Amino acid sequence: MMELFTAWVSTIPAFAAPFLLATAGLIINERAGVMNLGAEGVMAMAAVTSVLMEMAGHGTALALLCGIGAGLGLAAIFGIMAVFLRVDQVLAGLVAFALGIGVSGFLGDGSENQTVNGISPPPGSDFAFLPKLLAGILDQDWLTWFAFFAAIAVWFIIERTDIGLRLRAVGEDAPAADAAGVNVALYRFGAVLAGGVLCAIAGAHLSLVGAHIWVDGMVAGRGWIAVAMVTLSRWNALRAIAAALLFGAIQALVPQLLSSGMNVPVYFIQMSPYLATLAYLLIAGLFAKGADAQPADLGRPYLREERR
Amino acid sequence: MPRLILSPRLAASRRFTFLVLLGGILAGLVVSGGFLLTQGMGLSDLASQFVGYTFGNPAGLDQTLTRSIPLILVGLSVAVCLKVKFWNIGVEGQLWAGAMAATAVSLYHIGPEAVRLWVMCIAALLGGGLWCGVCALARIRLRANEVVTTLLMNYVAYMLAQQLLYGAWRNPQDSFPVSKVFAPGETLALLGFGHVHAGIFFSLGAALFCWWLCGFARVGYMAKAVAANPAAARAVGVPAGAVVLLMATLGGALSGLAGFTIVCGEEHRLTQFVGNDFIFPSIVIAYLARSNPLGVVVAAIAIAALYTAGDSLKAFYQLPGATVLTIEAILLLCVCCAEFWLRYQLGWAKSTKVAP
Repeated sequence: MMELFTAWVSTIPAFAAPFLLATAGLIINERAGVMNLGAEGVMAMAAVTSVLMEMAGHGTALALLCGIGAGLGLAAIFGIMAVFLRVDQVLAGLVAFALGIGVSGFLGDGSENQTVNGISPPPGSDFAFLPKLLAGILDQDWLTWFAFFAAIAVWFIIERTDIGLRLRAVGEDAPAADAAGVNVALYRFGAVLAGGVLCAIAGAHLSLVGAHIWVDGMVAGRGWIAVAMVTLSRWNALRAIAAALLFGAIQALVPQLLSSGMNVPVYFIQMSPYLATLAYLLIAGLFAKGADAQPADLGRPYLREERR
Repeated sequence: MPRLILSPRLAASRRFTFLVLLGGILAGLVVSGGFLLTQGMGLSDLASQFVGYTFGNPAGLDQTLTRSIPLILVGLSVAVCLKVKFWNIGVEGQLWAGAMAATAVSLYHIGPEAVRLWVMCIAALLGGGLWCGVCALARIRLRANEVVTTLLMNYVAYMLAQQLLYGAWRNPQDSFPVSKVFAPGETLALLGFGHVHAGIFFSLGAALFCWWLCGFARVGYMAKAVAANPAAARAVGVPAGAVVLLMATLGGALSGLAGFTIVCGEEHRLTQFVGNDFIFPSIVIAYLARSNPLGVVVAAIAIAALYTAGDSLKAFYQLPGATVLTIEAILLLCVCCAEFWLRYQLGWAKSTKVAP
């Protein structure tokens, strides 16, 4: 039982990292007032591109960079639609989702299920002097470590810097930000690109760290979960760490339970984080708490010529 | 120095609207065609697949019409919700809920056998309606964003269905994760043309009903007011919350009905793949039809034809399963970008000198 517990706990960070990266990216988007439903597509593009580049014999670092580039390209298409062409953000996000899933299917066609080296935790424990459980938690690959530092950095930039202040202003009240001299479209597009980079790293994490292969449909709804997790973490990147650990813990639990042969309702367990998010939304609404955390101008395109 | 500025276009004439949308669709088709050409298909292959097979061949037409039955319903679902500016991203969850409700009626023998099929139909409507209705209620009462709630409800329904299929509802005979086959009286009749079943009357009837509701009924008129300006609608006495709740519940019920047509018309039991891949098509259909219920029928048949062509491309040209999704995405992308010109216009700013 204890071994099962240790095995479970030590896999949680790697399961949580993609959620955390994508959620942190989407928090940047949404704090600037842009809702990006295309995260799933961006993650798929990055996942397939990084695996393909690694298979082509380029190093892991270059593969990761190319994955980020591919995700960034799709995020840019979304950004042009949502920010400059003022297409409804839900619609633009769905287009980015479908384009990413579709094109990644084409790119990865014929290269599925081929193992790549990817990124693995360092051999041997760096933390052998610590208790076994703690060492298991800390022995992660560098991309997983990066995810947690990235979330803290996102929180710091949004909440504690001038750039973050302007970003929040654009998301809360675009006309006021515009009147104060902030370039609304530029900030929003920048937020979409920055968020796209993090979502792309999340996708590359899935294929390079998690699976070491590309399979069509391997993002498996994680991008959508990230959209919901933004609400669960109340648009705060530090709370996103807790939310990601919750979803990661549940996801890490399922394979452990299946391999242990215990007879448990696996699908009910997998359903629980979704129900928790829904319950959270409803409770926050009941006490009018979540309502003020949501950026006021989320989802509203802004054009000076049609100022409210 | 003259400066380019973007300004809202106050009114676009019908002719201009039509031309712009047509241009968007044509551009989408040209880009998709070009994309397929880069994947090693010839022009004549494209023509024979997309026109010849999908419409000129009984097998293709059969597949297209059968596929269009649930697609019309989920397209209507999104369209009806869009009438009150409610984004329904949860058609899959509602479809699962409807399919599960109908299956439950069959498995637990609810209602007299003579009208069992109708009981299943009503159960599916209620299941789907409930699945979307709670999201509408959460938005009205608790200001919960419906994009997130309807999205999450997809997963809840999917997981519930899997749990039932691997648990209580698993077929006792061969223990595959599918439910028992429905009794003959619990299925929709075939119409004598391939796999096309009586569900098509449900789809077309639903489209006519929505057309009447949105165009001629009092609720449809109120929905227009709510969509245009909720605060103003409320101020003149329109029960805005109730209208949103009603339209969203109706939308959910339509998706539930789509689940009913699949389990009762095609599969004749609940399987693991009943509700897969409906979210994006439903959005594309509703958007291409500009939320017009009768337009939804045309758009749904066109998208169903795309799926038929996609299946044969997969079989004969080894194109990946993502082909259809990619083409749908390109189409929607082009139409969205074309629509930009309906809402905005580019112009030169007049250089105004401010007196010192």
